[in-house]
Amino acid sequence: MRADLAFSYIRRGLLYLGLSVAAFVSIFPFYWMVVGSTNTSPDIAHGKVTPGTYLLENIARFFEMVDVPRMFWNSAFIALVGTALTLIVSSLAGYGFEMFKSRFRERIFAFLLLMLSIPFAALMVPLFIMMSRLGLINTFTAVIVPGIASIFIIFYFRQATKAFPSELRDAARLDGLNEWQIFVHVYIPVMRSTYAAATIIVFMANWNNYLWPLIVLQTVENKTVTLIVSALSYAYVPDYGVIMISAVFATLPTVLIFFLLQRRFVEGMLGAVK
Amino acid sequence: MSSVKLSGVRKSFGSVEVIKGVDLEVDSKEFVVFVGPSGCGKSTLLRMIAGLEPITEGELEIGGVRMNDVDPSKRGIAMVFQSYALYPHMTVRDNMGFALRFAKVPKPEIDRQVNEAARILALGPLMDRFPKELSGGQRQRVAIGRAIVRQPEVFLFDEPLSNLDAELRVHMRIEIARLHKELQTTIIYVTHDQVEAMTLADKIVVLRDGVIEQAGRPLDLYDDPANQFVAGFIGSPRMNFLPASVVEKGSGSVTVALAHHDGVRLTLPVTGAEPGQDVTLGVRPEHFGPAGAGGADLVLDIDVAEHLGSTSFVYARAAGEPLIIEREESRNGDETRITVSIDPAKAYLFDKQGQRIR
Repeated sequence: MRADLAFSYIRRGLLYLGLSVAAFVSIFPFYWMVVGSTNTSPDIAHGKVTPGTYLLENIARFFEMVDVPRMFWNSAFIALVGTALTLIVSSLAGYGFEMFKSRFRERIFAFLLLMLSIPFAALMVPLFIMMSRLGLINTFTAVIVPGIASIFIIFYFRQATKAFPSELRDAARLDGLNEWQIFVHVYIPVMRSTYAAATIIVFMANWNNYLWPLIVLQTVENKTVTLIVSALSYAYVPDYGVIMISAVFATLPTVLIFFLLQRRFVEGMLGAVK
Repeated sequence: MSSVKLSGVRKSFGSVEVIKGVDLEVDSKEFVVFVGPSGCGKSTLLRMIAGLEPITEGELEIGGVRMNDVDPSKRGIAMVFQSYALYPHMTVRDNMGFALRFAKVPKPEIDRQVNEAARILALGPLMDRFPKELSGGQRQRVAIGRAIVRQPEVFLFDEPLSNLDAELRVHMRIEIARLHKELQTTIIYVTHDQVEAMTLADKIVVLRDGVIEQAGRPLDLYDDPANQFVAGFIGSPRMNFLPASVVEKGSGSVTVALAHHDGVRLTLPVTGAEPGQDVTLGVRPEHFGPAGAGGADLVLDIDVAEHLGSTSFVYARAAGEPLIIEREESRNGDETRITVSIDPAKAYLFDKQGQRIR
């Protein structure tokens, strides 16, 4: 009996130890980033992990070194327009796949899912050549367009649409709405939790996108936050304080979006239709 | 108000035919109920009338006008769904006025019609609530209100009470009957609950496997079923069926012997059967009388007795065959064996194909 109790304590202790390590690994980089943004580069290099007093200096130097408003505008434009277009196109596709029956529906959908298995690295070069032939290199269009029809988001919307009551569509048809009006006036409002969750996922993916913008955006004035932040670390003598504050700035929009849509995000991930 | 006419209506999903040629006339202001077991096509038929399912073959007329290819919103119909189908993001008021807003009806007129429907259904205090803040019964009333606001020629109800509890179902049933009286509209109502069908309908249409088995007034179907299916479907508890064979034919009557009851014979006022023919005898639970009351006596072993107060239903076996007997006088829970008699004047005879022998 006592051995059982001891075993239970040990098991629980190990569990908490494991969870604590996982929590530390998850939280520490974020903590270090925030604390680092208040310290000088030498302090950070020496491993200082307590808050310092150099926050404003770091911010000032960051604004000196980088055209911050421009960088944010570039990222915001790409992320917002890209997110809006992705949601429109992918939710329409998800809705269509679930609502309209056709003999080829499942085959086409399976083919789309198969596309998920192709790594982006394999598509990068053909995509670049396509964009180059279309004369779109170094434009935001080239960054946004390839992501608009997101197979993952189409899949996500199709799954979520399974919970959309078909009787609502019938009722709307009897009320005189055509398919587009049903989509706009009934489907979108009813599925707003799904849209909120998808907004967070797509916005974060767009905001954090690095590889593709790195390839197609070639002039400094068009570069996005991720490219600039990463470029800061390539300097001959990197200023870690500035790098940390730039990372803080880069993180803020996604954190903001997440907190704004948090409640709906949870509902959306649970597939709630209310 | 409008009549509805279906002529040779068929519906196929791919190679599967689900409605196999339906001819039906629904008179103006008539309350018609489609009943039948699950999968019989009653909801599909209703959806075809609504325009939510295309008609593969045949003609649909509403108010004398062919409606096969007319948009659902322009057929002059309104539908109440089993799951209510209220728009969850709109208040009760907005739900009810949505169709009119889309039809560009002026706002004062929308308000007038919505308020009138709210008055009829006593929805006043609920108008600014969202559907999730309403009970099942309230939601169903809002769904009916939404239909009323459209001022349809024909109301279509698709199992509207199935999601409600027993008490509320009775209440809403009365409400719908009252509404029919007040609005004087044509109503087509789908249910699998034959109590709803019997209490609400002017005309019941019994469907099976996509064909109409019988259509007529509720008590006509009850008293004079066309076949064994209708006889078994209409009436609760259902009719008892006993295998038998014709042993003798007289003038204006036949005598049958029950297959599993040696020596039990019954003479029925039927002429359409021939000696030697295998038949099925149908007896409603309430048509068993006390032993020796005439006809034939059966000895039953009681499995379960349900005493409902005014009456009792006895679930029993006679020579291994399950039977349900209604006994108004019985309140004795200790009986294990009883003898009852079959009233031959109220028994039915069916042939091997299930058709009524008259």
